[in-house]
Amino acid sequence: MTRLYAVALNTFKETIRDRILGVIVVFALLMIVASLWLGSISLGQEARMMKDLGLVAVSLFGLVVAVFVGASLLHKEIEKRTVFVILSKPVGRAQFIFAKFLGLAVTLACVLAGMGLFLFLADWIVAGSPAPLLLAATALIYLQLLVIVAVTMALSTVTSTILASVLGITVFAAGQLSRSALSLTEFGQSAAMKGLAWVVYVVIPNLNAVDVKPAVVGESSPDWALIAAWAGYLGAYAVLALVLASWLFSRKEF
Amino acid sequence: MLMIADLHKEVRVGFRRRKVEILKGVDLEVFEGDVFGLLGPNGAGKTTTVKTVVGLMRPTSGTVDLGVAGRQQIGYLPENPYFYDYLSGREFLGLCGRLFGQSGGARRGHVEALLADVGLEGAGDLHLRKYSKGMLQRIGIAQALINDPQLVLLDEPMTGLDPVGRLEVKRIIDRLRERGRTVLFNSHILADVAELCTRIAIMADGRVRWQGRVADALAESPEGLDAFFMKVVQR
Repeated sequence: MTRLYAVALNTFKETIRDRILGVIVVFALLMIVASLWLGSISLGQEARMMKDLGLVAVSLFGLVVAVFVGASLLHKEIEKRTVFVILSKPVGRAQFIFAKFLGLAVTLACVLAGMGLFLFLADWIVAGSPAPLLLAATALIYLQLLVIVAVTMALSTVTSTILASVLGITVFAAGQLSRSALSLTEFGQSAAMKGLAWVVYVVIPNLNAVDVKPAVVGESSPDWALIAAWAGYLGAYAVLALVLASWLFSRKEF
Repeated sequence: MLMIADLHKEVRVGFRRRKVEILKGVDLEVFEGDVFGLLGPNGAGKTTTVKTVVGLMRPTSGTVDLGVAGRQQIGYLPENPYFYDYLSGREFLGLCGRLFGQSGGARRGHVEALLADVGLEGAGDLHLRKYSKGMLQRIGIAQALINDPQLVLLDEPMTGLDPVGRLEVKRIIDRLRERGRTVLFNSHILADVAELCTRIAIMADGRVRWQGRVADALAESPEGLDAFFMKVVQR
């Protein structure tokens, strides 16, 4: 446990002390402020526009951190050969992967908590009443991004940083649409196409299942029991991706 | 203590995954309390041998008996070390201590003692990115000693250091010998090897060509260790 904590703490320090993270957070806050202005010019839709655009900003900038930092975490260790120091000590490869993930998960939690609170307070000031659903939506975006970090880390053990980043973004985008893949099974006669649609639906994480943006802007009411079940599925998906990453990493030689 | 028997290592390189045999049956024995020099020209397989011992590479065949209780009792300094440059020297040693399960006061005590041992007590709060090459080498040795290991493996500890830096590293190795630790180090600087080592092995082309006491090597070649080394490598 001490070893897990040590590597996770070091990863947290590595990512939080990276200047690029500060730049990303500043841009995210600017975009949330911009959503205030956009809200003010959309007649009668101020609060809705702000919530919608604000959550998109939280999601996009969180994705940038998750994908680009997640993809470079292991590569940096290998390229700079700092991994020699860690793995020559009594630290298992799987322990190393899980600890790196935990470190970035804490950094991501700080980033999203900052952005989410900023959006919540700005919305409160503009709308005149608090919208706690904004905080719940931010927490669920965080869960989506944890899955993307785990997938990107697994991909980065077998590809370059850039390719792992591109694939991570692709999985995020596909994850927003995976329910559409399932609806494809309802059309057409081809068994092969139906099968393929099922494979896509099962392999791609269904990130859309925990998206509560429609509920935040008042279009629907959330089914929390169902969301909790999907959250459990996404947690299991992240663990599986990390197990795969550990297995791939354990085959590496330095 | 450390016993390596018939160690082979093959890697695959290039687009066609061509097989290259780096180690072709390395046999090596390091006794307890030895300061052991592993010598050889570039590409002889010294670094691969050490990486296999610490578990960064897997042997294709052959055995490595550490003679100690696993990595818990090993200290390792990689070649041309690069450490987390966003950490201070004190933070970095603290991290290494945690990796050995050291906690609280004991860890902090260890870190301070090591910083003093390697002459970096005044630079403990400086970020590693501001360290000179010699300071990095010394903090590298300090991290290798954080667990007070029985077996210390140093890969090219003197490379790139100025005479003052080399002298400091030699003093550290001397102190380890006085404390009865077993030290194995790779080096191209034969004068340092002659000065520090009790026993040596000379590798070439993935094999150990000669191993024994430094005194025996010098007896065989009175011109010095350089001449003996050339004789063995060109055999």
